[in-house]
Formats: sequence, structure tokens, C-alpha cells
Amino acid sequence: MSRVGTFLKQYWMFVALGFLLVYPLIWRAPYYHVLGFNTLIVATAATGWNILGGYTGYKSLGHSTFFGINAYLVAITANELGWNPLWSAPLLALGVTVVALVLGWIMARAKGSAFVIATIAMLLIFRLLALNVKSVTGGAPGLSQPLAPWSPEYSRMPFYYYMLFWLVIALLVSAYIRRSRFGLGLLAIRDDEGKANMVGVNTTLSKVLAFGVSAYFIALGGGIWSYAQTHIAPIFAFSILNDVDTVLATMLGGLGTLWGPVLGAFILIPGSDYILFNFGASQFHLAVFGVLMVVIILFLPRGILPSLRDRLAARRETSSAFTGASTMEDLSDSQPRGEVPGREAPAP
Amino acid sequence: MLLQLQNVVAGYLKTVDVLQGLSLQVEEAEIVCLIGPNGAGKSTVLRTISGLLTPSKGSVVFDGQDISGVRPDLVLQHGVAHVPQGHSSFPEMSLLENLLMGAYTVSDKALVNRRLEAVYELFPWFRDRAKQRAGNLSGGQQKLLEIGRALMLEPRMMLLDEPSLGLDPKKSHTVFDTISRLRDETGITVLMVEQNARSGLGISDRGYVLELGRERLERSASELLDDPRVAQLYLGGGIDDTLQA
Repeated sequence: MSRVGTFLKQYWMFVALGFLLVYPLIWRAPYYHVLGFNTLIVATAATGWNILGGYTGYKSLGHSTFFGINAYLVAITANELGWNPLWSAPLLALGVTVVALVLGWIMARAKGSAFVIATIAMLLIFRLLALNVKSVTGGAPGLSQPLAPWSPEYSRMPFYYYMLFWLVIALLVSAYIRRSRFGLGLLAIRDDEGKANMVGVNTTLSKVLAFGVSAYFIALGGGIWSYAQTHIAPIFAFSILNDVDTVLATMLGGLGTLWGPVLGAFILIPGSDYILFNFGASQFHLAVFGVLMVVIILFLPRGILPSLRDRLAARRETSSAFTGASTMEDLSDSQPRGEVPGREAPAP
Repeated sequence: MLLQLQNVVAGYLKTVDVLQGLSLQVEEAEIVCLIGPNGAGKSTVLRTISGLLTPSKGSVVFDGQDISGVRPDLVLQHGVAHVPQGHSSFPEMSLLENLLMGAYTVSDKALVNRRLEAVYELFPWFRDRAKQRAGNLSGGQQKLLEIGRALMLEPRMMLLDEPSLGLDPKKSHTVFDTISRLRDETGITVLMVEQNARSGLGISDRGYVLELGRERLERSASELLDDPRVAQLYLGGGIDDTLQA
């Protein structure tokens, strides 16, 4: 048992990746491929969003702006220029990132709730544009694009593997940023922007870059989603519900942790789908889902991973307490009180 | 002479000068303590040196170069580190990350690691607690962490503003011991402001008594500790004196 435990502890990443690689081969019904694909899109988006919302502490509720922009760019270039979305989606997402850098430069002037509201406004503006610039976007009915060339028998399996690849890339980027000097600056901004500035972090540049990087992985998902859907409309492409999924997944798994957003997405998306499947006849599934979210937030307010980590650390601390160096003990709060000099009763 | 202030006039408002022609000097590898009542301008002296305030008159010369009115980050590059009053660490970041923030402007990774090792050498317990959240450290540990963070830029001089603020006597004793040991081991110059004048002077070579924005007395620390006027005004009577009075 313990041997299995240590094996899992060391190689769990490969075990998880292995499972995700064989998953569509074991569960062959198209339903599972669609579910897996949707989960991977949210996991990738949440990993990207976490760089801004988790590491930097700027919680955007409008990042599906970039999801929508790339969804339209991919559809339009596929129709007009015949570009294949499999290579145009990541490429066009770079262009969307440039747009995000400009928008981020404007948005990042606001802080706290003002930032959240500004990002929502950004999303609504782009949705209005998509609805009204009919010559480009097709207006409210939306746009169609060519079907994927492979047989419907495989359904979304290729999309699934394609998105799995990008999830791995997103995680590598997120891990690299977390360990880099740039990432250190982001954490400092989250903690105290004024102090971060004082010790030499270029806070404006860091925030704008984080905004751009997080937009990339959301835009990427939008492009592929557009191809998989073959038909897109403004209310689905520019929807705050996409942001809600992304943010909830991140919060559920653990804001600001590397694996939290992925874990959260893999619980949230299949979970909400399961509830929809079982209680979907009325709007009851929303109530069930809401109650579950409340319970999780009450008992794991910092998300699953940080809460578990705290519990493990607390257990370790109690088992290895009182073994520090002398200077440390002199300063620690655990020393007995009541020995403050000058408090003894005066000698007669 | 490492640092020299001459007839410095400075303040926060144009019409109100907190420092009114103050002069002082600090030698290399010296620990100098500024004492004085509230409002004498002790912290203002440190802020003027570190560039947070620009003197309207007089000069601040560090190592032969005039640094009066120079931007804080450039003063830091000259080798003067300011550890402000209260807590200035990043509470949500780990101890190690806090130390690395101290050298954020240094892009040479090898150099940062070398300095990190040097700081670990001075504070071995940092290594054991490297991953601990800084906000969970005790007040004294956080103060030492802030000093350690300042050391990441290898300053020649450190300005300490009330290092014992908010610490109980035992912990502030440890902090003062550490400052003294730091000077002995690294030869760093320290200019410190301390409300707790007795402990501050206890580890200092010299002291200045400030009053109304000027230096009133300049003596060796031991002379100041023995001076009856200073004792009465700033050191506070011991238990015996209180009982007799």
C-alpha cells in the first residue's frame, strides 16, 4: 500500500496524463469526448486566467472577450481565406494577445472591484460589437464555418487530444512563470502593489504582461471551440458564463496554485454536467449546483489544494515542533509568557 | 567618513521644516543611534538620507558623493538600504520569496544565489523556514527577515527605523544582538532610530540626541547612557528611581 502511495506521489503527473491519453479510447461514446473536450478547454482557460487572477490578484470577469474574438477570427479566416483552424487558432490567439495587451494596459489602471467591473464592461462592449457589426460577424444569428474533415465517427476525439496538448503547454508556461523573477513580481503585486513598486517591480508592465499571457490561453480555447462548434453566435462566444466557469474552477481547485485550476475544472465541468444530466428536466440542476458550490466555499474557502496543503503542513508541524535553532526560538511566539523583566514585585 | 549631513533643512510641507539645520556624521562600520522625543525628526533624518524626502537646504554626502535629493532607488544603488518602521515584508509570500524580492532588481541569478547563501550564513534559521509564509512569523522574526531582505542588495549602510517597535523586551533584545553581530561579521555601517534608547545605545558606538529638528548632543554611547540629563529625559527611570520618586 505504502509502495503504491510513494509511487503515486512521485509519478502522479504521468499517471494522470496517461489516464487522459487513454480516456477517449475507453469511453468511446461521443458524449464522453465532448465532455472531455469541454473540460480541457476550461482547464486550459483557468490555467491561463490563474496567471492574472491567481498569481497577480487581478480577478477579471471579462476574459471571455478574448475567447469570443478568437472564435470569430478563426471562423472568418476559415471562411474567407480557407485557413485551417488547427494552426490558425494558436496563431490568431497571438494576435488577440496583442489586443489584450492594449486593453490590459487600460484595464490595469483600475484596482479591486473597479477592475472587475471594468473587465465586465469590456466583455459587454465586444458582445455589442459582435451583435451589431453584421457585415463582419453576421450579427445575432452568428457565423458558420466548414466542418472538420474527419469522419463523424471519431467525433471530437482529435479536438480532445489537440486541447490536451495545449493544456500541457499552458501548465508548463504557468509553472515557468511561477518560478521566474517575473512571477515573483506578480506575487508581490498581489500581496502589496505599493511595496512591490518600492522594491523595484515595474508593476504596470508586469500587470499588462500577465493580462496578455492569461488572454492567450483563453483565446486559444475560443478558436478551437469555434471550429468544433462549426456555428458560433455572439451570446455564446461573448458570455460571462464562460468566465464564471473559468473563475469557479480556479477558486474550487485553489487560486494561485499551479494545479488548482486544472483540478477545479475536472471537478466542476463533469460535475455540473452530471447534475444537469440527472436533474436537468427543470432548472433544479442549477439549485443543486449552487448548493454544492456554497458547501465547498464554506468548508474549503481557499480551494481544495491550499486547504489540503494547510492540513498536511499542520500535521507535520505538530510532529516536528520545538526543534529549531536558538535564535529562532528566542523570537518565536511559542515561548512561555509572564517573564517580562521589570514586572516582578519590587524588593522591600 | 561614510555619511555626512550638513545643515540639513527638510520637511513634509513647504512651510513646516521638521529638520532645521541638522548635521551629523557616521564613520565606516560604526553603529550610531538617534534618540530624542517624539517629533524631534528622527525618522525624518532617515527618510531624507534614503531619498524619500528632498532637503531644501544643506547636503547629504555618502562616500564622497552628494546624494541629497537623489531618487530612493538610486540611493539604494549607492549602497544605502532603508528598513522602515513597522512591517514591510510581503505577508502572503514565503520567507525565501521575501528574500528574493530584496534582490528583485538584480538580474544575475548566480549573484542572487550567492547573496542568498551569505544571508543564510548570517541567519541560519532562515533556511529551515524558507517555505513558511512570512505573515506567520513572529514580529521579531519578521523584523530580522526585513533586515535580511535589505542585505540582499549588499548595502554598505543600513538605516533602521525603530527596529524594536512592537516587540516584547526579550525579542527586541535578540534583534539588537543580531544588529550588533551583523556589524561585527560584515562591517556594515548602521544608523538607527530607536525609541527604546537604552537598548539602542547599548549596542551603539555613538549617539545623537535630537530635539526640534537639530542635534543637541553628540557623545559616545556609553557617555550618553551615563549622562544624568539624558537618563532623565529619554532613558526612563529604572524601577528603583520610580519607587524613590
